[in-house]
Amino acid sequence: MGDAGSTGEPVAVRVRGLHKKYGAHTALHALDLTVPPGSIFGLIGPNGAGKTTTLRVLLDIIRPTSGEVSVLGADPRAGGAALRRRIGYIPGELRLASRVGVGAMLRHLAEISGPVAPGAIESLAERLGLDLTRPVRTLSKGNKQKVGVVQAFMHHPALLVLDEPTSGLDPLVQREVLAMLREARDDGQTVLLSSHVLSEIQQTADDVAVLAEGRVVAEGSVATLRIASVRRLQATLAGGAGEALRTELDGVPGVADLDITALGELTRVSATVRGDIDPVIRALCTGMIRELTVEEPDLEESVLGLYGAASGATRRRRS
Amino acid sequence: MTAEVRAPARPVVVPVLRRGLLDGWRGQIGWSIGIVAIVGLYLPLFPAMRSPELTGLLDSLPRELVRTIGYEDIATGAGYTQATFFGLIGFVLITIAGIVWGAAAIGGAEESGRLELTLAHAVGRVQYALESAVAVLVKLLLLGVVAWIAVAILNGPAELDVSTSNLAAVVLAWVGVGLFSATAALAAGAVAGRRSWGVGIGAGVAVAGYVLQAVANNADDLDGLRIFSPFEWAFGQAPLANGVDGPGLALLWGGSALLTAVATAALARRDVTG
Repeated sequence: MGDAGSTGEPVAVRVRGLHKKYGAHTALHALDLTVPPGSIFGLIGPNGAGKTTTLRVLLDIIRPTSGEVSVLGADPRAGGAALRRRIGYIPGELRLASRVGVGAMLRHLAEISGPVAPGAIESLAERLGLDLTRPVRTLSKGNKQKVGVVQAFMHHPALLVLDEPTSGLDPLVQREVLAMLREARDDGQTVLLSSHVLSEIQQTADDVAVLAEGRVVAEGSVATLRIASVRRLQATLAGGAGEALRTELDGVPGVADLDITALGELTRVSATVRGDIDPVIRALCTGMIRELTVEEPDLEESVLGLYGAASGATRRRRS
Repeated sequence: MTAEVRAPARPVVVPVLRRGLLDGWRGQIGWSIGIVAIVGLYLPLFPAMRSPELTGLLDSLPRELVRTIGYEDIATGAGYTQATFFGLIGFVLITIAGIVWGAAAIGGAEESGRLELTLAHAVGRVQYALESAVAVLVKLLLLGVVAWIAVAILNGPAELDVSTSNLAAVVLAWVGVGLFSATAALAAGAVAGRRSWGVGIGAGVAVAGYVLQAVANNADDLDGLRIFSPFEWAFGQAPLANGVDGPGLALLWGGSALLTAVATAALARRDVTG
């Protein structure tokens, strides 16, 4: 279908200066977000970072205190029901307590947001292994989550807003859902998902924004964020090391957890390096490098670093 | 069930109303059975009750008690039907049914997480609130039809001698007083986002209405309290004996419309948090 692209909207979601206060508590501070159409955009961050609040604002479930929000070219509140017909949403905390059957409930939601193609509900349910005849309240957490996935995808919306979509699903179904996200993107749909499972963001998302304490603390492609992130370095040097090397490495910005041990002839160095690796390698070259391992940075570790950076109000953005 | 899903699901008119009615059929049947049972239990006793002994018994009771439970006119068919059903157990039944439905429609749906999911689909807040209110209204009217039919069937055999039009008048008042509590529960649930608030406020309105008119019945200097009692608006002019009470119905139905507007405005304005 590719609604977002075909209607010529330059962005699927644009958020500028979004504030949300709950009484005295500020959930979102001047949040900016741009989701390009036809992409998978990941929101990551710890609990309480503001992911769910942000996504709920896009659906007009909660109203911003201030800021501009545009979803598929419309303000969520002004766009109303017609806008939400073009969005599929999975709530972060999906609770289904009704005694109605899964099929009847999905049909009810389809009546609101349809049209739903004939057989769409059945084929989604079959793909995920969901029994449509059971009452929803008797379902396990994983099966309830499948209901959430089906109701978000069934009307083939231009935009999918998914708050922790794989939560509670077993690994096989998780993989299936991630495959569905990629298929949706290839089909021209835009996906905005939140997660604290970083591997699923790594596997699927094109772009990522990292939220902490109601702010975007980093944003960019998954690859970009990895370059800017934390590596673990271990080296074994022969000769000419010791205190001189320690002084030199201490002077390199981004080096932390430095540990230098002498083992007879050899010197063992381990450290974590944030950012540019080049000055570290040059410093090591004062000796002879016998062994060197630089671990591929883990997004989780980088993001944990960014949480810390957030409290220092450091904001690093892709230019 | 699978076959039902298999049909292509197109947008339908008033989906929330439709679902509210379809999903509530069990409760609807349960309340209807309750109404039929109470009507069937009490009304056939009227011929036996209309005796000098009963009149003597009532005369021996304190006037205050008789007035409080509304048994002054119990010797007439209309008075008896009013005193045993519409003004007593029937009042309790339709009030509880209305409060349960009204409190569940918005406050209960929000608390259970269903509202967030529904509102994320293509339905507006105003539309949701209004359709929910209409669903409650339709369900209460259906109970009214059940009560009307049940009493009409027993009218002859139980020698009640109430007129069909007066019966319609009291059913409108009875549904109206249930609807008033139901919409109070709907509004409180919509303001607070909690089912318990709806139940509390709805029940408070019903109990206060009953108590106010009972107090007013017994104390002439407190007679002014009557005008604040939905129970009095419904039954103060004895519609089963005297026919339609226009001002009373206007207060009940107009008040219900106002409370529905409050519920709609409250839901439309605030965050849905669950």
